[in-house]
Amino acid sequence: MNRGRLGRVGVGAGLAAFVLWTLLPILWLVISSLLRTKALTSRPPDLSAASWTLGNYREVLASGQALGPALLTSAIVSLGTTLIALALGSAAGYALARLSIPGGDRIALLVLATQMFPGIVIVIPLFIVMSRLGLIDTRAGLIVVYLSFVLPVVIWILKGFFEAIPPELEKAAAVDGASAWNTFRLVVLPISWPPLFAAGVFAFIEAWNEFLFAVVLTRLHTKTVPIAISEFAGQYQTKIGEMMAAAVLASLPVVALAIIFRKAILRGFAEGAVKG
Amino acid sequence: MSSPAETGDWERGRRRTGLLLVLPALAVLAAVVLYPIARTLLLSFQRAKLAPGGLQTEFAGLAQYRQMAGDEAFWLAVRHSAFFTIGEVLLVVVISLGAALLLHHPMGRSPVFRVILLIPWAIAPVANAILWKWIYNANYGVLNAVVTGLGLSERPVNWLGDPSLALRMLLLADVWKSVPFITLLLLAGLQNIPSYLYRAATVDGAGAWNRFRFVTLPGLRAPLMLAVVLQTIWSFKVFDLIFVLTKAGPADATLLLNFLAYRVSFNFLDFGYGAAIANAIFLIMLVLAILIVRGFAPRRSAGAQGKLA
Amino acid sequence: MHRARTMLSVPTNRRSILKGAAGAAGLAALGRRAPVRGVSAATGLSVLSPLAPDPAPPGVAEFAIPEFDAWKAANDVDVTYEAVAWPQLHDKMATNFASGTHVHDIMYNCGWVPEFAQFLTPMDAYLPADLVADLPPSSFSTVGWDGKKLGVVFSLSLLTLFYNTEHLELAGLKEPPKTWDELKGYAKELTRDGRSGWVLNYGAPEGIGGVASYWMTFLQQAGGTMYGADGMPVFNDAPGIDALSLMVEMMTNGSTDPGSLSYVGINDATNVLTAGNASMMMNWPFMWKPANDPESSQIVGKLGSAILPAGPVTSASIDGTDAWTIAATSAAPEKAAELIGFYLSPEVQKKQWLDTGWLPIRLSVLEDAEVQAAAPNAAVVLEQAKLPYDSFVTPDYNEVTQALGTEIQKALGGAKTPEEALKDASDQVTEIVKKRLG
Repeated sequence: MNRGRLGRVGVGAGLAAFVLWTLLPILWLVISSLLRTKALTSRPPDLSAASWTLGNYREVLASGQALGPALLTSAIVSLGTTLIALALGSAAGYALARLSIPGGDRIALLVLATQMFPGIVIVIPLFIVMSRLGLIDTRAGLIVVYLSFVLPVVIWILKGFFEAIPPELEKAAAVDGASAWNTFRLVVLPISWPPLFAAGVFAFIEAWNEFLFAVVLTRLHTKTVPIAISEFAGQYQTKIGEMMAAAVLASLPVVALAIIFRKAILRGFAEGAVKG
Repeated sequence: MSSPAETGDWERGRRRTGLLLVLPALAVLAAVVLYPIARTLLLSFQRAKLAPGGLQTEFAGLAQYRQMAGDEAFWLAVRHSAFFTIGEVLLVVVISLGAALLLHHPMGRSPVFRVILLIPWAIAPVANAILWKWIYNANYGVLNAVVTGLGLSERPVNWLGDPSLALRMLLLADVWKSVPFITLLLLAGLQNIPSYLYRAATVDGAGAWNRFRFVTLPGLRAPLMLAVVLQTIWSFKVFDLIFVLTKAGPADATLLLNFLAYRVSFNFLDFGYGAAIANAIFLIMLVLAILIVRGFAPRRSAGAQGKLA
Repeated sequence: MHRARTMLSVPTNRRSILKGAAGAAGLAALGRRAPVRGVSAATGLSVLSPLAPDPAPPGVAEFAIPEFDAWKAANDVDVTYEAVAWPQLHDKMATNFASGTHVHDIMYNCGWVPEFAQFLTPMDAYLPADLVADLPPSSFSTVGWDGKKLGVVFSLSLLTLFYNTEHLELAGLKEPPKTWDELKGYAKELTRDGRSGWVLNYGAPEGIGGVASYWMTFLQQAGGTMYGADGMPVFNDAPGIDALSLMVEMMTNGSTDPGSLSYVGINDATNVLTAGNASMMMNWPFMWKPANDPESSQIVGKLGSAILPAGPVTSASIDGTDAWTIAATSAAPEKAAELIGFYLSPEVQKKQWLDTGWLPIRLSVLEDAEVQAAAPNAAVVLEQAKLPYDSFVTPDYNEVTQALGTEIQKALGGAKTPEEALKDASDQVTEIVKKRLG
């Protein structure tokens, strides 16, 4: 009993440490967004009543042309990337995990190898490809490029889950005469939505936050949220308060999604696909 | 590769379907990255100069790889990248494993914790980098206010100006940003471990440590492997933080390979040499990835789960 | 406050939106300019510009908007701005050039003119004589290459000295420092009560505003120069070592904010001065506005400005070079030159200072009574402009300043003596220059 209580105290302390570690920098982000620059550069930071302001948020919203369309663009691009990545990634992941394609292991490694090139260096040839395809400054262009770095990870996440499905399940389907495609569609996918959801969360957030390719592939019409945020940092001045306010506003949709889907996330990550 | 004893027809049908299922994803990847990667490979054997109409190239053979072998900045970046990658993978995996175990514990299952966990991940990287730059600022940063306020240091610490500290501070910021995803991955893995294994272990008299050692860790083999591979790749490719916080300074104390490839390509406009560095990065990562995947492969070749390259 | 963001990268009217979209598709298909005929006879000009509050043209920054609209109507020109955060400008241009695509007619440039020279149109023929006569002749030194004027500077942006008048008074110092000895003495005297006498961003080695460029300022003050007549580096001499020794001495004796070695942008250092945590720095003229903005500054009304302290030979500075250039691939270079002429017209230049805080470049406007009254530091910058200010830009400027700046940082951090650092820097720069000269 004593040991149990000790364990509970340990877990409680661990959870508290986890919350602090995760939230302290976030807390400072939110505080920064609510302070005048003058208060932030004071030593120590001046947290007296006079320092607080909503001015940063007002400035960001008043220039809403920047953040507003960026939010819409980012939502469309991230959602598009996520859905396509899940459709293509689950099929490929299942094939690589289960359907013993010749050279499957090498294909899997090849897929991952596309991630190993520094994006910054392939950006110029990529730019040439995209402009030949007429995809510069388009949402479709961003989705295609984002797929190229989201898809490999989605494939690997799902491949891992599919590998853990007991073979008996598929064999039973095979005995019933189901094709591999129908087994995937009717037996495997329905029990896999939690890992699909997990992979989807990954795809969405990565696409939401991508910066480098967006800088190069965007001109006038498809500025994404990270670009809109980066615009507060110039050569001679960084509008720290406004940038932090924009970052808070831009994170809200993601956090809101997390709260709305908290049960699904809980199931997706806490119950897992298969119980032994 | 395991060869099941089923009839050949059934197996052939599955292979055909498998190819059809994997092709669309491969097609998308090929359409986007095949040309850029091939071009970069080729470029590393060419001297490339900016010229009207694009890049003017001439064949240079292995000259740029020889240049790399004698380039002090390259070897400095290799050492820094090795330190950064090993440090980050270790820290991220250990912290994430701890966090995943906590969130897996009955006390940690509240959705509140999951939502909290997602937040650092949801912050745009540029804003994240600027946030840390202000936190670390030697003069008015909040970290120094805390450290001096608590009496941990008499004088403000030059977090990013001290060459021996700067890389570690970058590492810390990146670890913080990387933990959420790896935690989610491991948490999902934890939930996949059948609970009867724990019950059986308890019946056999295993304590908490032995349950962790002989049930949890082996059960996490696949997600841990994925976590290590992905985190290795991502640590190698860190860019935003360095660009915003230190520009690889002071005196190249935070120069990582990826930033060097950027600097050579975009600041020096030496696209050929930049491509050679990119290829070196690619080769190093590929070898590391293969080693990691092999290293995590189960010792016994039994079981359908053993097909990991 | 600066509400300029409201205008960012919004095409100026509906027609130009159509044109921009069609143009982008056409470009993508052809890999070169595809003018859209039939929609309108207007000339389309596309401009790459930084976002405000960095130096930006009317329409990106919010000033001279009625004048801009009138000019567009009178000249039948549609202007499309691609306004991006300053740190993305150089790499965007490099990507466009390296991929062989024509995108912009007019581009902002800053010290990159020699590097991108082959992509720029010589402007000698397009610049009216009366305009050239009204610009400081040395303003062309950083925007020219091979004897051609490839751009025109639109804001006089020289480093000058800024100081906290209150701190000087408290220390019993009546006037700003005029010599290196005074500078060192003042910095030591002013380092007290947790404040530093001197602060600057020494963290980034490369580019204008990097630590190498700051050292070049001191180098000229000591009577030194970067390159000899043959183009080879000659800076590893007495003036070069004097310049570096001055920086190192002020660092090691504790009168420079130690954080300086970690500040990668001028903004990081500006904040220290405007917080009242340091007493002196070099900065660009733009400093004046944020330092007198009560939202961001604690030293409102306490900012003094003077020309930089003289070294053994003279006071000297470097040039921030905010310039407009025309793309070699532009289909309408004359119209582009006319637009630049509009940006540099006296009335726009005047509003540029009054509404955005960026000084004009036209001498007649700088001497305008209203401008001088609103800009107490304008006279100082003008005085500084009469003294040497060479930024020593070359096509390999980034590579040179990267090598040089890294060695300077080693000296500032105590890992090398100034002599060792400059010797090693000189060897590296010699290699870089040899590579260029073939």
